[in-house]
Amino acid sequence: MESYLSMRNISKTFSSTGLKANDNVNLEVRKGEIHALVGENGAGKTTLMNILYGIEQPDTGTIMLSGKEIMITNPLAANKAGIGMVHQHFKLVNEFTVAQNVVLGTEPMKGAFFFDNRKAEADVAAVIEKNRFHISPEMKISEISVGQMQQVEIIKMLYRKAELLILDEPTSVLTEQEIQRLFKTLRELIKQGKTIIIITHKLAEVKDISDRITVMRKGRVISVKDTADVDESEISRMMVGKSVVFDFDKGVDGCRDAVMSLENVTIKKKRQGRPILDGISFEASTCEIIGITGVAGNGLTELEDVIAGLERISSGRVYHNDQDITNITPKALRDRGLAYVPTDRLKRGSSLETSVKENLILTTHHDFMNSGGVFDEVKINEHSKRLISEYLIDGHADVPIGTLSGGNIQKVILARELEMVKDFVLFSEPTWGLDIASSEFIYEKMLEMRARGVAVILISSNIDEILALADTVIVMYRGRIVAKKASGPELTREVIGEYMLGLKDDYSTDDDCSSDNDHSKNDFKGEDN
Amino acid sequence: MSNGEFSIPLIHNSISIMTPFLLAAIGGLMTELGGMLNIALEGLILIGAFFSVIFAAATGSLFLGILLGILMTIFISWIFGAITLYLKANVFITGLATNLLAGGLTAVLSFHLFGTKGVLMFNDLPSLPSLNVPALHGIPVLGDILFGHNILVYMSWLIVVVAWIVIYRTPFGFRLRGTGSNPNAMSALGLKPQNYQMIGILISGFTCGLAGAVLTLNLGAYVPNISSGRGWIALVVIYLGGKTPFGILGAAFVFGLAESLSNYAQGFMDIPADFILAFPYIITVAAMVIMSVIQTRRED
Repeated sequence: MESYLSMRNISKTFSSTGLKANDNVNLEVRKGEIHALVGENGAGKTTLMNILYGIEQPDTGTIMLSGKEIMITNPLAANKAGIGMVHQHFKLVNEFTVAQNVVLGTEPMKGAFFFDNRKAEADVAAVIEKNRFHISPEMKISEISVGQMQQVEIIKMLYRKAELLILDEPTSVLTEQEIQRLFKTLRELIKQGKTIIIITHKLAEVKDISDRITVMRKGRVISVKDTADVDESEISRMMVGKSVVFDFDKGVDGCRDAVMSLENVTIKKKRQGRPILDGISFEASTCEIIGITGVAGNGLTELEDVIAGLERISSGRVYHNDQDITNITPKALRDRGLAYVPTDRLKRGSSLETSVKENLILTTHHDFMNSGGVFDEVKINEHSKRLISEYLIDGHADVPIGTLSGGNIQKVILARELEMVKDFVLFSEPTWGLDIASSEFIYEKMLEMRARGVAVILISSNIDEILALADTVIVMYRGRIVAKKASGPELTREVIGEYMLGLKDDYSTDDDCSSDNDHSKNDFKGEDN
Repeated sequence: MSNGEFSIPLIHNSISIMTPFLLAAIGGLMTELGGMLNIALEGLILIGAFFSVIFAAATGSLFLGILLGILMTIFISWIFGAITLYLKANVFITGLATNLLAGGLTAVLSFHLFGTKGVLMFNDLPSLPSLNVPALHGIPVLGDILFGHNILVYMSWLIVVVAWIVIYRTPFGFRLRGTGSNPNAMSALGLKPQNYQMIGILISGFTCGLAGAVLTLNLGAYVPNISSGRGWIALVVIYLGGKTPFGILGAAFVFGLAESLSNYAQGFMDIPADFILAFPYIITVAAMVIMSVIQTRRED
């Protein structure tokens, strides 16, 4: 079968880091297929797609589309050639409507001077209609869900008449429902004759959606296969060079002492009927990993902030070793020994423009001063040298942490936090967007903490991670705890999924259970549309 | 009504006084919407003030004076913009540099051309023509307030309307707002955010040039540092006006009124002069505090 797109002998070295992101890469994509481009972080997938979309220029290599060689010097040229890209991080203007975001740069005009907003809405409505999206062109971006934002990004490209769509990690921010909806949309687009390249490292999704797979590792193409011919563990082997199955020992019984406990923690906001957190109670104990999961928007973020001391609670109490620590400052909490690996590792977890070694002492810098009140460089250098080797950080102590890869930034944060741990630690979405090797490293550290008797709180929307690690699983839905279960063979993905989506609720106060369930189902649909 | 006799000239006067604030703020709004706080407004007003009056004196034409003064200000704003946007300098440093440059350049040229760094008087300069429509002048109160100003006042109102149309009804304004809100959204579509910011800066050069011309041509003289903080207050006006042209019109009037009141109060009220002169600035502080309180309430 003839290729629709062929990228041949593409090489790209980044002069700033000397990193060879693409090394003689060949990619062949057939018309009308969904082609999965898989590989770990740093395998070169995004670089390759950035080249295809004109964001980066290759050092060598050619790009042929429909048998003709084309030059793609910038995203506009890519659009003209019929190539569209949906970025992992959405690039939308919050204050603008859906329609305005879609037409930005190619605005319909009224006369020679004026922007025709009404025509923009009509044109965008036509694209929405044709592709069966569920979104209104007049809505502002600030009012829509993350899943809908992604739809806007896709609509943007379809409006520009894209025939070849590139989706970079499209599912990383979506809920299970939104993922299914996205896949339905993608299949619909294929029926209309479009071609799709999807970048991902979620293997189940690769199996589910793609026709063919190109596997990349360390800047090279390792293998090209028909999806039907391979199974998940085989893809995984090709990606990392070894098969990865998360199977960890559970904790030992008999050493459970409550370290941190929450009692009826509630947060109410003005002009918001439903509390953001509603009567949350649980105990984090020694020798235990307590896993808290749920779909985004159901209180996980707020719970993270409460445990880290960054959000005041309206009612309820928080205890640490039987002492009341309700609404104490983050500093006081840190002085008590809370180690914290936050969700937002770029803004909250690190100071991007300062060096690795400085990031390593952010929380403990007072210990690195000499008697004159000046930093002791020797001590700081020794400290960072030790942690860099202990935590297998791939990066130099003196470079800004922002130049490191996501996995290495997270390892720096991990090293800093676990160095100061006393008896409790909070991990929030610790492996979000990381590759399998980095994730595994983090899991090992988490288990090490548990073995040392530390109370580990793991907040994660990744069910597999929760199932593999947690001794006790808590599921949140609409700000409430709907399930608290000990891990075991009967606690499966499906069971947790039902709680996460509000289909089941162990703590329902409503006697009329069935109507409550119907109600929540409808609500969910409403949010998804 | 004695009250009316007092308040009509007061409001009339406020409208004259607000014009430089209004013009500078409208220009500043264009860069603000593009995502840059333009602290160079102060210096740009000074450049416009100096060059428009000396060009007017040299050519004997008010029109040419204003035109060349504006072109000079646009030129300076272009340098400011190019260094900031294309050479990627920090906008606060370049803005500060522009303000220092304006003070230094005007002083040096003044000394070089006229032998003094002090006040430059241009006695034979024609005064700015006023707009008088005798038929409409008869309208009670409103006629007295709205007519009899110099033409630059009316031009500033026209600029407010045009600014509104440009911001909300043209692709340029649309993209400018997009740039300020999320430049990455623009880059991802192959649009260059810097280009829109540059045009915003050039527009601020245009309006600040005109604002400066209003100051000196009204007076028929150039006084060192004649901008005297108006560029800074214009920044407050932008925020107080909610970053919309008509909001800015209202906010500028508040400051015109404050200054006008302090001028009147000096005449016949027994308040220390220093306090009266500080009045517009006290208003500034009070306005900002009130604004931020309202905003925090809204976000809660």
